[in-house]
Amino acid sequence: MAKSKSLKRERMTFYKELIKGLWKENPIFRLVLGMCPTLAVTTSLENGLGMGMATTFVLICSNIVIAIIRNMIPSKVRIPCFIVVIASFVTIVDLLMNGFAHQLHGQLGIFIPLIVVNCIILGRAEAFASKNSVLMSLADGIGMGIGFTLGLALLGSCREILGEGMLTVWGDLKLLDIPARVENYQALVVMILPPGAFIALGCLLALMNKVESAIAHRQGRTFVPPQNLDCRHCTICKFGD
Amino acid sequence: MKEVLKLVLVLTAICVIAGLCLALVDKLTTEPIRKAERQDTLDAIKAVLPEYDNEPDRNISEIVVGKQTNVFYVATMRQAYVGTAFAVTSKEGYGGEMKIMVGVTADDGVHAIHVLKQTETPGLGAKIEKPKFKEKFSGAPLSTTIKVKKDGGRIESITGATISSRAVCKAVSEGIDLFVKNKDAILKSDNVQ
Repeated sequence: MAKSKSLKRERMTFYKELIKGLWKENPIFRLVLGMCPTLAVTTSLENGLGMGMATTFVLICSNIVIAIIRNMIPSKVRIPCFIVVIASFVTIVDLLMNGFAHQLHGQLGIFIPLIVVNCIILGRAEAFASKNSVLMSLADGIGMGIGFTLGLALLGSCREILGEGMLTVWGDLKLLDIPARVENYQALVVMILPPGAFIALGCLLALMNKVESAIAHRQGRTFVPPQNLDCRHCTICKFGD
Repeated sequence: MKEVLKLVLVLTAICVIAGLCLALVDKLTTEPIRKAERQDTLDAIKAVLPEYDNEPDRNISEIVVGKQTNVFYVATMRQAYVGTAFAVTSKEGYGGEMKIMVGVTADDGVHAIHVLKQTETPGLGAKIEKPKFKEKFSGAPLSTTIKVKKDGGRIESITGATISSRAVCKAVSEGIDLFVKNKDAILKSDNVQ
């Protein structure tokens, strides 16, 4: 009896860690982590998806390995250890993709080395995987990865639709093609240029806060926008203190 | 002292394991990567030349200009010369270097061009990759310099991206010039009949 109860509780926690990355602790819109790839890569839906999936893979692998070795690492050298693990996985992904999925590598090649410096991965290693079991770290990695991928895809779609009037996946499958239907259609090119990234991200963040405050209002709570984000107790920024 | 020793040991152990894993993966992927990269070159050559039956990437001649080595891929069909492909680069684009494969036929015309690498503005200059722009180069005679229409040439530049369009034209023209100047050397060195 007791065993099945603890198993059930474990399953509940696993589920909770899995879905928190989607909305409540979404890496892009709630933790506001990994802004460098977020702003640079999301010129189209396809780029966002590709970057998100590559990041998810590295995130899951590094979370698992760090959770396994978490008790062997002395806390003074944990950051270098994390970086070695993450950088190794990124290099492995880079090599494997180049060798066995060469076309995908051609499209994503420039983004892959960027994953090393993506603070989501180091952040999750520090804030979660180094303190939790392998199973929970796996759930966290999957959830955060999917949340990141969805966030990038959303941002990429918005910018591609506004900036090009199109939505293209897998190279040539057009989900939406305004220029083909409307003559002399002029897209907002600024949206795919760097300033567009800030504009789109700002609007989406504002929209997300609006939605959340509406939900809170309906439930009779007052909505407090997240101000003092501590990236879920990540201490990397305060490492020297 | 003991603590320092432990730190050093753990870090060293992790790095050694990571290094071993990387070495293993590198060994596994060297051959597939080489094959895939060769296939890339072959695909690009195929995209810019008429049908051929040799291996142009093993039938090359090199022309050295200054420090730069230009590689010319010579294609043949039943031992008869059908065309040459070569890559040209331009640093005059709007967003850094662009690299283009150009194919010329035996009857002294451009067969096609193919963009190998470009970092132009998405939505504007990046349209040089679109067939609509590239196909305007097909059939251009080698005897006249390729220019955009604004400069009195035959290529209609992309709206809002004249700089990128000009850069492509200039790079292609320069490559063709080099080819025409060295045509005898390029073709002779390859036993083309």
